[in-house]
Amino acid sequence: MARTDEVLLSAYQDGESGAFDELVRRYAGSLLGFLTRMCRDSQQAEDLFQETFKKVYEKSHTFKGKGRFKSWLFTIANNLALDHIRKAGRGPNVISLEIAGGCKSEGCCKTTAPLPLEDSSLPSPADTLLLTEQKARVRAALAKLPVNQRTTLVMAYYQGMSYKEVAEVKNCSLGTVKSQMYRALKTLSTLLPEMMGGLE
Amino acid sequence: MNHLKNEQLIKYQFKLVSNEKYRAMDDHLAGCQACRAKLDELHGKLSPLSLLQGDPEVPESLISQTLAHVKSAPAAKSIFKFNLGWLSAAAAVLAVAGGLKIAQMMNDPGPEKPLPGTEYALNEPGNQDGPANRRNSGTEGVDQIRKDLNDSPSARISGGSANPMARALPAPGLAGIPLMKSPKNVAIEDYVPDTEPFAPASNIELVTLPRREDVQLTIYNSADLTLVRERRNLTMNTGWNWLQYMWANTLIDPTSLSLEPLAKKDKISIEQLVFPPRLRELARWLIKSQVEGTVPFEITYFTSGLSWRAFYMGTLAQDEETMTLSGYVRVTNKSGEAYENAQTRLVVGKVHLLDEIAKLARRRHAYNEDVVAMDDGKMLRLGDSNSWRFGAVFTNGDALMDSDGDDLALFDSHFAKKEITKKGLSEYFLYTIEGKETLPDGWGKRLPSFEIEDIPVKSLYKYNEDLYGATTVRFVSFSNDEEHNLGETPLPNGSIKIYRNADAENHLAYTGGTSVKYIPVNEKVELNLGTARLVKIEPKVMDFVTENYTFDKHKNISGWDEVRTWTITIDNTRRLPIDIEITRGFGSPYWDLALVDGEVAAKKHDSTHERFTLSVGPETKRAFTYKVRTYTGQRIEAYSK
Repeated sequence: MARTDEVLLSAYQDGESGAFDELVRRYAGSLLGFLTRMCRDSQQAEDLFQETFKKVYEKSHTFKGKGRFKSWLFTIANNLALDHIRKAGRGPNVISLEIAGGCKSEGCCKTTAPLPLEDSSLPSPADTLLLTEQKARVRAALAKLPVNQRTTLVMAYYQGMSYKEVAEVKNCSLGTVKSQMYRALKTLSTLLPEMMGGLE
Repeated sequence: MNHLKNEQLIKYQFKLVSNEKYRAMDDHLAGCQACRAKLDELHGKLSPLSLLQGDPEVPESLISQTLAHVKSAPAAKSIFKFNLGWLSAAAAVLAVAGGLKIAQMMNDPGPEKPLPGTEYALNEPGNQDGPANRRNSGTEGVDQIRKDLNDSPSARISGGSANPMARALPAPGLAGIPLMKSPKNVAIEDYVPDTEPFAPASNIELVTLPRREDVQLTIYNSADLTLVRERRNLTMNTGWNWLQYMWANTLIDPTSLSLEPLAKKDKISIEQLVFPPRLRELARWLIKSQVEGTVPFEITYFTSGLSWRAFYMGTLAQDEETMTLSGYVRVTNKSGEAYENAQTRLVVGKVHLLDEIAKLARRRHAYNEDVVAMDDGKMLRLGDSNSWRFGAVFTNGDALMDSDGDDLALFDSHFAKKEITKKGLSEYFLYTIEGKETLPDGWGKRLPSFEIEDIPVKSLYKYNEDLYGATTVRFVSFSNDEEHNLGETPLPNGSIKIYRNADAENHLAYTGGTSVKYIPVNEKVELNLGTARLVKIEPKVMDFVTENYTFDKHKNISGWDEVRTWTITIDNTRRLPIDIEITRGFGSPYWDLALVDGEVAAKKHDSTHERFTLSVGPETKRAFTYKVRTYTGQRIEAYSK
């Protein structure tokens, strides 16, 4: 039976260095997905990915036993991402060519659910191009959301976290999270058809 | 229930309402086709969101890179664990006591226990929370990390550092680089950010350059080039260190600067060499150190202005059959930098320079003056080296130096002779001066190199009007080989002075001087000692006739012979026998020669010259006579037959 996150962290604190490696592998995908959706820049997401686990490594002794490790991990990642977004907002807007043309990591944007817009057969080059363009437009739509709404949407919708977990990570009330989620979806329900219109 | 609005449908689809409202909406949708249609429409509008679903596959390289990056950072320390109950009791006692001093005692961390992979524990003043304590303290963990991450950059850099330089470093994070962030209360001594700080604009944050501990000079003879390797003990602070190096008023080539730690190389890395704008003759090294304290470093660079030259002094025995050859090396420092206790190495050989280092340096010009130190300690200026006079008496090389002309100085101390060891370096040859020498800027220093006794030499007086005019020139020759007690090393080019033991008291009489080129092993060297005034050679025409005229068909003269009779007189006023080589030229390849009188060896030297060799006893005058016939015009045909 797999050990829980908290058991692994405790084991690491007691000297089992391999436990930390297991934690990294366990959350690598979801954390990189979260950071990629937040940053729009896969290179920056990878940097923040490393930095998040570095923080965890350095500050593991501050983790409380009763809290969930996943929430704590995403708290760190969220703060780092917000910090990055704030600073990026002060500088020139740089858009990675990798994001514009797809994702750097293989399978980065691979969907797990059947896509309504995707043919189940092997996509033609034109379909691949179309899909890439659609993804880019969705990212652009997400990027237009206020940061708080985007964070909530990404955590709740893409990372599968409950609203309570999101509230814990963001250190706000459950009502605030739901409000942010609602506003985000409302905006997207208007924005996405406009942006996707030419491609549907 | 009324039809659901779009806002309600959004909340329904994403369960943003209470369970009761959700169930009510669910019931309504089950019976309302219009609302279901609107819900489907909403679903369609938001369906593109699913395009970005699914977590990426994280490359293994990123994971391994992350683990390596993480574990290269100082890990959290394990602090003495004590439970909350004990802490509460202690806090109660402290509250009663209420003393500030006791409160300060609470800030002392408990015994530390490093975590695996932690080489040294972090210095976190005031932090008493161990992992176990954290686990028992409610939501402190998330709150703490949130607080840490939201702290201002200035807060992150401060605290716990006893290092003024570290505190003065530009605050990490200002450059917008996440890796620069340091958690609050983590001492900067133990925390080395991965991203280097921006170059300091002032000198305040710089590590001062201490005095040299050791220095080695390798001076290349063929170029104005010296390799300097100096060792200095630098005081490192944990983290980023700026080291400033200035070369104002020196001839150091800044492009050749190099810095390398001699110890703890795995903990110290030299990241950059920065040449700040608007600051001339100044560079700053950026050093990343994981250790604190004194570390030996080696700084290497090229400089111009240091040069060396070889000098030789040959002392002929009274019979002039043998010679004692002494070699000296004069090192001159005009580099603008003083080098104390420098180990000096001299390289003989041609250096191929790819760049223009030599242009940085002042090329040393030839010495115009020489100074001889006399027995009484006074300096005797002898003027041009070619006009040395008889009678200059040496003190056997104890002290002789100049500084390229005007700045003459004399070493009053009679330094001990130092051995100069030689070592072959393929096309180069390396001489290492024993011990260490101090070379102040602007000074020169002459050091004895070797002394070889009883070198068989051959003196020869030459008379050749075509080359030397109507004067007799003296030559001394020997070979750089074992037969002549030499041959161990090549002899660098330099100037040589030849003296002769003038009397039983070993007073030296100057005989002559010249410059010699690089003398390889087994190569013969012939020293031109200049005009020999004590040996006079006088050719005299005793008779001249023309004969054997020929005429062409018009009765004009078409050819004739010229016949000259020469008497060569040699007057050796020296008290030693001498060998003489007389070369006579006739201005034509068509000639015959016949000895008329005297004992002399005659041999055709080339098409236009005859060479005579003979020995003349001490204080003896000898003469020989020869008759030479030269053919002109049609008489050349007769010569050919």
